[in-house]
Amino acid sequence: MIDWSPFPTRILPLLKSHSAMKHLRRQPTIFTDTSDFTRIDYGDIIHVDNRYFLVVGYAKEGRFGIDEQPKQWVPKVYDLESGERNILKLVFHENFTLKLGQLKVTCYRRPEKEGQVLDLVHGNLMFMQGYSVLDEADNLVRVLDIVRGTRLDTAIGRIDCDHETYMSTYLEDFLRRFLRSVEAIILLHHHGFKHGDIRRDHVLIDGESGHYRWIDFDYDFYLPERPFALDLIGLGNILLYILGRRNFRPLDILQNPKMGEKVLETLHVNDLSLLSQDRIFNLRKIYPRLPKCFNDILLHFSTGTSVMYDTVTEFYDDLAASIKQVYG
Amino acid sequence: MADWNNILIAVDELESSLRAVEYVGQVTRSVDKVAICLLHIYPEPPPDFHLKGGILEEYQTQHIARAEHIFGRCLEILVGADIKREAIYCTTHMTEGRTISDTLLLVRQKGNFGTVVTGKRGVSKAEEFLFGSISNALARRCNDFTTWIVG
Repeated sequence: MIDWSPFPTRILPLLKSHSAMKHLRRQPTIFTDTSDFTRIDYGDIIHVDNRYFLVVGYAKEGRFGIDEQPKQWVPKVYDLESGERNILKLVFHENFTLKLGQLKVTCYRRPEKEGQVLDLVHGNLMFMQGYSVLDEADNLVRVLDIVRGTRLDTAIGRIDCDHETYMSTYLEDFLRRFLRSVEAIILLHHHGFKHGDIRRDHVLIDGESGHYRWIDFDYDFYLPERPFALDLIGLGNILLYILGRRNFRPLDILQNPKMGEKVLETLHVNDLSLLSQDRIFNLRKIYPRLPKCFNDILLHFSTGTSVMYDTVTEFYDDLAASIKQVYG
Repeated sequence: MADWNNILIAVDELESSLRAVEYVGQVTRSVDKVAICLLHIYPEPPPDFHLKGGILEEYQTQHIARAEHIFGRCLEILVGADIKREAIYCTTHMTEGRTISDTLLLVRQKGNFGTVVTGKRGVSKAEEFLFGSISNALARRCNDFTTWIVG
């Protein structure tokens, strides 16, 4: 039996009636210090900002092709007064080395940076919304609104048609909305912030308005001369995905009965990605009808490029001009 | 117009820097009123520096000591090329919210240097994209001064 006396009366109605309590066979704990987040479990309560958050699950994340793993430092929570559902991000400092082909970059998880970005983009619906607050042990807890929407890559993957139809029917809308989200990244950069983890699953299509929203800003990396280079790479990868509807590796071409060796023979190492040479950026070798201006943008990220983007603004300008050229 | 005889050499520990210094020594040895500034720029510490208990003052002291060592080698070359010691001075800067090339350009502007010299490391395209290239940044942005890139 749960002893309800440690809990403030104002949270009891929602706490007692929540399904998490019905199956709990232990006394829930109230955590005001989230330093050791591994101790915080389903059914426990996190008390920050004078709000009581019941832990009802964990966010999951997996790299593409890898099973999703629950992130224990990112509990899904339920506000025991308002009934609002949120996501909390607890402090988890980690470093890891990102390998890009032969090159290595050290990446850092930085809660403080995410808190600063949340402050900067408050009210800007191109980004996830939330705020940060210190717990009793001065850990910076981020209280995030849940974005109700679909991942960009999931939305693209759901479209069931050939590439010609995709280009003529769907591509324009994806590109125009993506252009606005590129503009949002420029805003961050102008304020000295990197997004830090630009990937196609970190763009959510808002279920109501349909615009794209960036999520997850806690990564940082150390590139003193090219601080925004990885953000640029991320944007190039997303554009490649939007234009091609998937990524093509040379082996994919060989295994595709419609392409096979005939297309593979036309490929050169210059057509592959600049950093890791693992995917084909010269998409016109796969889809010859793709407008050249879009392909030219992709080629900036290819091994064969002689011109590189210095800033996201340059990338934006080219994309905006290409959209105008193709669609008016 | 900035003074071309007021020369800024960006140096680090690489051989390409020493070649740049040697080049300047050779081409300016007979030039009157030449003034040379040896500049070493180092980056701000990584994001987790303070979290790991790093002390900024110690970090700066280490980099300044490293710079002094680099300057020593450069001075030997310049003085050996008959450049007067009093025509040379050395300075070290940490990037503060700027890139290395932005810091270099700021020092150039403040010092009214008409010539900026740097060695060329010879990086791959992938390295240039990710880590940048000071010589390429200078080549692109030398609008009201002259750049010598020494290969």
